[in-house]
Amino acid sequence: MKKIFLLTLLVTLAVSSCKPAGPKIMVDTAWGRQSPKTATAGAFYMFIRNAGLEEDKLIGAKSAACKTVELHESYQTPEGAMGMRRVTGDVIAIPPGATVELKVGGLHLMCIDKLQDFNSGAQIELTLRFEKSGDVPLTADIRE
Amino acid sequence: MKRIFLFIISLAAGLGLTAALTFAATQWLRPPALHGLVMQPQQPAYNFTLMSHYGQTVSLSDFRGKWVMIYFGYIACPDVCPATLAELNKALLSLGKQSERVQVVMITVDPERDTKEQLAGFMPHFNKSFIGLTGTSEQIKEAATYYGIYFAKHQEDTALGYLVDHTATVMLIDPDGYLRVVYSFGTVAKDFADDLKYLMAR
Ligand SMILES: [Cu+2]
Repeated sequence: MKKIFLLTLLVTLAVSSCKPAGPKIMVDTAWGRQSPKTATAGAFYMFIRNAGLEEDKLIGAKSAACKTVELHESYQTPEGAMGMRRVTGDVIAIPPGATVELKVGGLHLMCIDKLQDFNSGAQIELTLRFEKSGDVPLTADIRE
Repeated sequence: MKRIFLFIISLAAGLGLTAALTFAATQWLRPPALHGLVMQPQQPAYNFTLMSHYGQTVSLSDFRGKWVMIYFGYIACPDVCPATLAELNKALLSLGKQSERVQVVMITVDPERDTKEQLAGFMPHFNKSFIGLTGTSEQIKEAATYYGIYFAKHQEDTALGYLVDHTATVMLIDPDGYLRVVYSFGTVAKDFADDLKYLMAR
């Protein structure tokens, strides 16, 4: 009986130590708006979920379809106007258990100097870089 | 006893029906509320004269007889501006033939970079009927001032160069040239379309 108990304890410990202690990043519904190459820039939106137990930070992004990808944020100025800026420190924190939404009029990835047209129905490959999780590749759907 | 019971039942049913009808009258039969700030009193909208992306001089008065939707934006504004123009396009599509009575116009708040050639490569992409307008800094400033549009260049460490903060409202002008409704940023296609349908039917 004692043996069985010890065995169970060992198995339990082994299983729990397998559980990821760090962040666990998942991205879904990534999309961008259809726009011609002449529009120079285009935004990408998505949900970034951290199912892990530790915070992670989005620290950058890149795509073969853009010369540069910056982390941006649209905001309302005291005058009631809409402004846009680079995110402070070029970092978007993704707390454990949280879902951060990149959305129109808020946080977004800004693709600057597009190297191709973004046509509705197309898919654009992107790579997000996280401080702890490293590179996370994803595909963004281009919509109207 | 049975009679009293029946009486109570019919009374309750009657009350329920009255309540339902009252609710219907206040909720369903009420004229739809417009989805923006309705201008009271109605004022004639400022008659700007600017350069269209077709290379022609265009005044607001050229659009008499049409509902005009004016938006101030710029090309290197890749989040807020395309979102608004895309919603306006969806609204026009849902209006079908009636959309011929609507003219969407974007006045650039970045005349330095948004030349008529640049606008010609940008506007039709959202809808072939959309018109982009540019002008001298003074002309743009004057139009913006009359429409209560705040805009200011802001330097930012971005590959986009400078950015322009701007009021992102959409203004609806009636076929007689009167400013009727001002919509805040984030108004969706269905709300624009419902308002246009309602106003055009009157
Ligand atoms: Cu941006």
